[in-house]
Amino acid sequence: MAANKILVPLSDTVTVRQTVGYAVQSALEDADELECHLVVAIPHDGDGPAGESIIGEAEQLLERAASWVHEDAGSVSVSVHTAVLGTKEYLFGPREYAEEFATYAGEYGIDCVVLDPEYQPGVTAPMLQPLERELSNVGLEYDEAPVERPAKHERLVGQASFDRMFALFWVSYGFYLILGDPTYWFDLVTGAAVAGIVSLTLSNITFTVAPDRIKSPLRTLRFGLYVPYLIFEIVKANLAISVVILRPSMPIDPSLTRVNARVRSGLPLLALANSITLTPGTLAVRANDQRLIVHTLIPSAREDLFDGSLERAVRFVFHGRDSASIATPKERGDTEIIEGEDL
Amino acid sequence: MTDIVTLLTDVQFMAIVILLAFGLFFTLVSTVGVLRLPDIFARAHTASQTDTLGAGLALAAVALALGWQNATAYTVLLLFFVFITNPTAAHAIARSAAESGVTPWEKDDDNTEGDDQ
Repeated sequence: MAANKILVPLSDTVTVRQTVGYAVQSALEDADELECHLVVAIPHDGDGPAGESIIGEAEQLLERAASWVHEDAGSVSVSVHTAVLGTKEYLFGPREYAEEFATYAGEYGIDCVVLDPEYQPGVTAPMLQPLERELSNVGLEYDEAPVERPAKHERLVGQASFDRMFALFWVSYGFYLILGDPTYWFDLVTGAAVAGIVSLTLSNITFTVAPDRIKSPLRTLRFGLYVPYLIFEIVKANLAISVVILRPSMPIDPSLTRVNARVRSGLPLLALANSITLTPGTLAVRANDQRLIVHTLIPSAREDLFDGSLERAVRFVFHGRDSASIATPKERGDTEIIEGEDL
Repeated sequence: MTDIVTLLTDVQFMAIVILLAFGLFFTLVSTVGVLRLPDIFARAHTASQTDTLGAGLALAAVALALGWQNATAYTVLLLFFVFITNPTAAHAIARSAAESGVTPWEKDDDNTEGDDQ
């Protein structure tokens, strides 16, 4: 009988052990030899000193998983290969992960991926469903491991932590004092009480990820720089649109475009899509993960969109100046004008 | 001394009038756009003008008229929330239009009455 080749992407979850167990068991059902590829894909911030510790953790996980495979395989001959993916290029969303897995699978002639239902490689957004969709897009067969796990509904609630409470306390206290009078002692006292109650009860559902002590204030500061820039762009676009609307001939040229944005899911993508919609002339119609479908009204707005100045600004806000200097979507070939039927 | 104070009040008054005039202008343009543009997608573009520059400039005028006091902070907050909710609403409209199968009007369509679904 032929040897079965399987690919198992791992991440540090409660169900990773069960997934490996299932992968080995199901692969050995119809074969007596097993070639098991264990991979850890690391997200895009795998650079720099912080990245080294991430890679270190990934290698430890791979080591543990390799010993599980040998344990589960028993006497059957099994060869285990491990790899850390995504060290060379940035992985943003499900599409990049799926492509990375597909490349790896292509190299080793693997035809089946076993997925951990809780798979979450360092990104905040739920990963399983979009990843499954992208895997079938790239033509890779996958199998979801049936695992037992604690009830799902806890996902909404993050872990309570001091950082979350601290951040939420000052945010709500600040908001209270803006609405009230920051110099009046009564407002100061009641504000502290209200902010205390809010931060104690709601801190674990306000932030899905705990705010970083250094990065989050930096992001807020950079967001402060971003707002004037955005307003400038809005005014510019408003004038351009007004001229077009008021001309009797009304020279509009509406078209649908698809732009693959290189920003992470969650807050960065929300900021980008909202900024695109705020500037008249471009309107985000759909956002399927990183694939934004944008309706553009006039050619100059389309050019601006393809030049990706807003995308660079959003990257600046969330990741700093270094990551802001990337090729424009046009140069990357991430832009496309599509027909209305392709919505 | 009193000359400078009156001059400053005059400048402030002029600034308020100019801001309000531009706010009204952009709201008017946006209304014209909603009436002239061919389909729901194109109209969603210009409808957001009212919220961004129309409301934005009007609120700036209000903040200037109120001067340096607590209520000024409210207008800034108002603007902040308008800037978050406006694109969300525009996106929701465009998305539901796309999902119910409305195809965008294009330049070479003869029918200027765009959404004839």
